[in-house]
Amino acid sequence: MKQIKRILVANRGVPAVRVMHTCIDRKILTTAVYSTPDRLAQHVTMADSAVHIGEGPPTDSYLNMDHIIDAALQSGSDAIHPGWGFLAENHEFGQRVIDAGLTWIGPDPEVIRLMGDKIEAKEVVEKAGVPTIPGISQVDSVDDIIRWMREENIEYPIMVKASSGGGGKGMVKVERDEDLQQALAQVRSEALKSFGDDKVLVEKYIERGRHIEVQIVADYHGNVIHLCERECTIQRRNQKIIEEAPSPSLTPELREEICQSAVTLMKSIGYTSAGTVEFLFDSNTKKYYFLEVNTRLQVEHGITELITGLDIVGIMIDVAMGKKLPFKQSDIHPNRWAMEVRLNAEDPRTFSPSFGWLTRLTEPHGPAVRISSGVYEGAAIPSYYDSLIMLIMSTGADREDAIRVMDRSLSRNLRVEGVKTLAPLLLSIIRHPQFISGDFSTRFIEENLDDLVSTFLGEDDVDEALKVARYVAEISALGTQNWM
Amino acid sequence: MKKDNDYIIVTPAMSPSEIVSRVRALPGVCLTSTGMRDAGQSDYKNRLRYFDLATLAPHYNRMGLFSAECHGGARWHVGIMNRRESPFDEIRFLREKMPNVLLQTLVRETNLWGYRPYPKNVIEYVVQNVDIDVWRCFSFLNDARNMRAVAETVMKRGKLFQPAISFTQADWADNAYYLKVVREIVALCGGVDEIILAIKDMAGVGSPARIGSLVDAIKQAYPELVIQYHRHATDGLALPALLAAARSGAQILDVEEDSLTRFYGQPPILGVQAYLEESGVPVHLNRQAAETAVQEVREWINQYEWAESPFKGLDHNVLAHRMPGGAFPSSFEQAEKGGFLHLMPSILKVMSLYNQIIKYFDVTPGSQITWTTCCGIVNRYAKKSGEIGVKHLIDLLERFVVEKNQDFAALEVEEQNELLSLFANAPGDFKNLILGHYGKLPMGWPDEWVYKSAFGSEWKKAIGGRKEESPLDALPDEDLAEARKTLKEALGWEPNKEQFILYLMHPKDAVEYMQFREKFGQAPYVLPTNVWREGLKKYGDTVEFEINGKPFSIELVSIGEEHEGIIHVILRVNNKMRVYAVETPRVKTKKEEMATGPNEVGSPINGTVWRLGNPRRGSLKPGDIVHKGEEIANIEAMKMETAVLAPFDAQVVAIKVELNDIVKEGQLLFVLEPIEN
Repeated sequence: MKQIKRILVANRGVPAVRVMHTCIDRKILTTAVYSTPDRLAQHVTMADSAVHIGEGPPTDSYLNMDHIIDAALQSGSDAIHPGWGFLAENHEFGQRVIDAGLTWIGPDPEVIRLMGDKIEAKEVVEKAGVPTIPGISQVDSVDDIIRWMREENIEYPIMVKASSGGGGKGMVKVERDEDLQQALAQVRSEALKSFGDDKVLVEKYIERGRHIEVQIVADYHGNVIHLCERECTIQRRNQKIIEEAPSPSLTPELREEICQSAVTLMKSIGYTSAGTVEFLFDSNTKKYYFLEVNTRLQVEHGITELITGLDIVGIMIDVAMGKKLPFKQSDIHPNRWAMEVRLNAEDPRTFSPSFGWLTRLTEPHGPAVRISSGVYEGAAIPSYYDSLIMLIMSTGADREDAIRVMDRSLSRNLRVEGVKTLAPLLLSIIRHPQFISGDFSTRFIEENLDDLVSTFLGEDDVDEALKVARYVAEISALGTQNWM
Repeated sequence: MKKDNDYIIVTPAMSPSEIVSRVRALPGVCLTSTGMRDAGQSDYKNRLRYFDLATLAPHYNRMGLFSAECHGGARWHVGIMNRRESPFDEIRFLREKMPNVLLQTLVRETNLWGYRPYPKNVIEYVVQNVDIDVWRCFSFLNDARNMRAVAETVMKRGKLFQPAISFTQADWADNAYYLKVVREIVALCGGVDEIILAIKDMAGVGSPARIGSLVDAIKQAYPELVIQYHRHATDGLALPALLAAARSGAQILDVEEDSLTRFYGQPPILGVQAYLEESGVPVHLNRQAAETAVQEVREWINQYEWAESPFKGLDHNVLAHRMPGGAFPSSFEQAEKGGFLHLMPSILKVMSLYNQIIKYFDVTPGSQITWTTCCGIVNRYAKKSGEIGVKHLIDLLERFVVEKNQDFAALEVEEQNELLSLFANAPGDFKNLILGHYGKLPMGWPDEWVYKSAFGSEWKKAIGGRKEESPLDALPDEDLAEARKTLKEALGWEPNKEQFILYLMHPKDAVEYMQFREKFGQAPYVLPTNVWREGLKKYGDTVEFEINGKPFSIELVSIGEEHEGIIHVILRVNNKMRVYAVETPRVKTKKEEMATGPNEVGSPINGTVWRLGNPRRGSLKPGDIVHKGEEIANIEAMKMETAVLAPFDAQVVAIKVELNDIVKEGQLLFVLEPIEN
């Protein structure tokens, strides 16, 4: 069995701090890596040792494999945990870590590569019998599409896409037969213009889809166990901002089916360590479709830890050391509801990032709350990196309870000064009747933004007092003003 | 012994007719305290802050006053400009602290709390939405027609309308003249049972005999009409004048706290009570409460010495120049700031001659017109030929007005020519006044030569364009929805009703005020006056206040040296240290240009310009052609890339940023020139 005495955490902010917490619990030493603007960051001070790996731009530092591997060797680390983001899903990095004689805390680099290739992944998934979004990739005429729809029993709407497309270009949603000809011509022409390739594929369009994912842990002894699902439907610009477990939109039967699908898939690819299978769920038809596998620790893993009582980072370390999972599927009994919000340093109206110093910070502790922070009062928020500063998680016996705890945390207990955060938006969302009733899709925020902004919580007494203090400061410095 | 509640004769819950009949039934007189408005306006430039005045409220609440004048006049405008207080907040706070007391305002008919006539729909909207019990309304032209919109709205709301006649002591302003005005007012208000008539002696010029006779004449014509006498103390004869008014039947008198009394405000409450009682006129007043209020004032009034008029002492010559009490401190302040304080005696003299040439009442906005016109003329002569010039001007006017009895033809040609240039540089409001834009002048239009002087060769046209109708009928309605939109754009947020009304009254100052309050919140209401004006001075100085009953404390730790225009101030706010970077006027602000015009492209987010142009075509330079929808820059922030697209086919005129610049949201990136296809 491999020994791990010191882990280099190849990350910063919330994920780095999260990983280090488990290391401290396990009496494993930690080495932080940092860029110049991060030299005073929380993850650096809390680590047992730290290595400077470059300047602010991520390519110079947190994406610089050479510097990170050198730092691991130089600091005497025997393993690297990549956290999430940056190099976490980079199979080349994983392989180089292994080649350097270090332990890679994550899935096999080959599995990372496989799941990172969309086409290969889809083939593997279909082979495993897991439903993918129905579609055809060989489209020459309207007849091809109509035949496919008849054979596969597909109903409108469908999406005509440029095969080589991306970023929303070369995509047309079609609602009826009459529009097919025009749509196909348009996509072909756009595809040729934008990508130099007029190949087209057609997929079923899932309206008002929901995002549901299954947490998997697996060891090198053939054990693949799911830790139930999470629902991550509330997103802005395709980034999740509120997650919960369990999902409010599944029946027990469906839940069992989805989770088993995920296990089947992960078994079929020989998955190890922690990972997540993401699905798009059509709440109208109650059908689910494979989206992708996240071959890493995920931001929202904490809510699964809360409902199961497990430490997923700890499991990743154990698996990397070659240990067997110490539990069976039948030992997993979620016993509460958990919810997470991502406190990003962003303008809650425009999502424009907000950087500067966190001049004041009060974390919203209280009963049934878990805070996963990457910062401290006074910390700088540099402009180079992800805007996440803190995860706030709440638990309760049921969903209503968990929402209540989250409401308290966001409305009364949290205080951030110096930068803007999403807090007002997050609070408006969890107070929205549609969110409370569980009736929402991935487009919830864009569909309700005005409504949400109009219910932003006003300022509290402390805000009022601080305005007075700002006045006192100005007059004390400047003296009696002319306008008086 | 009488309990406090026994003194309450009228309350805000009563209907106007009930209030009127309560006052009629009183054996003697009752009082209105102007301590919260006109006292401060007349002797302290309206700078008395709510924070201090609020200490009087609990005493007023048991004093047995007819009303508290706490609102209107110039207090509204000075409130938003200089004290940063909202007249709406003030009423709300006072209602809570003195629920027994009728709150009284002063409005200038169509000019409300501003200086120009507002359209009828604005007047109605505003009057409907201000929570005041007693609406004293005067016209500086005594043009009752101008009061109609206010009168109708107030009476429809079931509030007490108090029409005021503007009083002056002049040969043309005799009892017959005033009776005519009163008749018009009574007709406007549909009788005497739901109104109280005020006599507004704003300059403090009514001699005891004159006032006694006027009140008597009105009471003989309208025995049931309740009369309130408002008078300034400027001439030194206020007390006997009040007694004369009371003896002739006036039932409400305006007074202020003795300790507030200086020279140009209302007479002292305790002195008035004692003098009238001794003279046999019962005065309805909880004297003990009044004494505590007088004492309360002494706790804070010394903080306002800076606001007092540099011209001190009573002035019986007010009979000639007629400057209203409310204008004294501000006029002298202007003269002091403008460096012509030494010309004040001459200006007052010219005013006393001017007001015989153009006849109206020296009260807002008339007093401002008189003041700016006369002080302009005197300054012009002083600049040209110094003291001799000013003396020459006064000699000329005296010869014309006194010696020649305003017979223009009787002057030498040279003198005539000089008069014909007298008003050549007069302010626009003066011209509007003699064109009838404010309403009819009480004694008719001035002589022809005044128009020749003000309008030159255009004088005939000017006379032909004089308006006889009230501005109420002449002015078109304002588009309120449009005005609200403009305000919203200026503020960047949706204004509430009160903010909108502040804006309707004084557009520019109101926006500044609201931005101030957005930034500094409750500071104008919770800070004591010394801290409000000077801040905290030395280590350990502390100010404490409450918000929603919760105590807050601000303690000064240190004020740093100025460095590059920034002073760092360290405060302990509720025990937590906080550092404030305060910008001085010397700060070097790196002002980023913002995209404003249609041909300017701004940054969509805060971030770094990591690419100019796009990968396909490479970088951009001025002169390049870009196509609609083409990416012309990319801004990166926190790993998110945001493309900046050309809004139309265009030629690049200028690129305002460089690669790797950190830009703000909205900051100007490109200037483009559209290309016609």
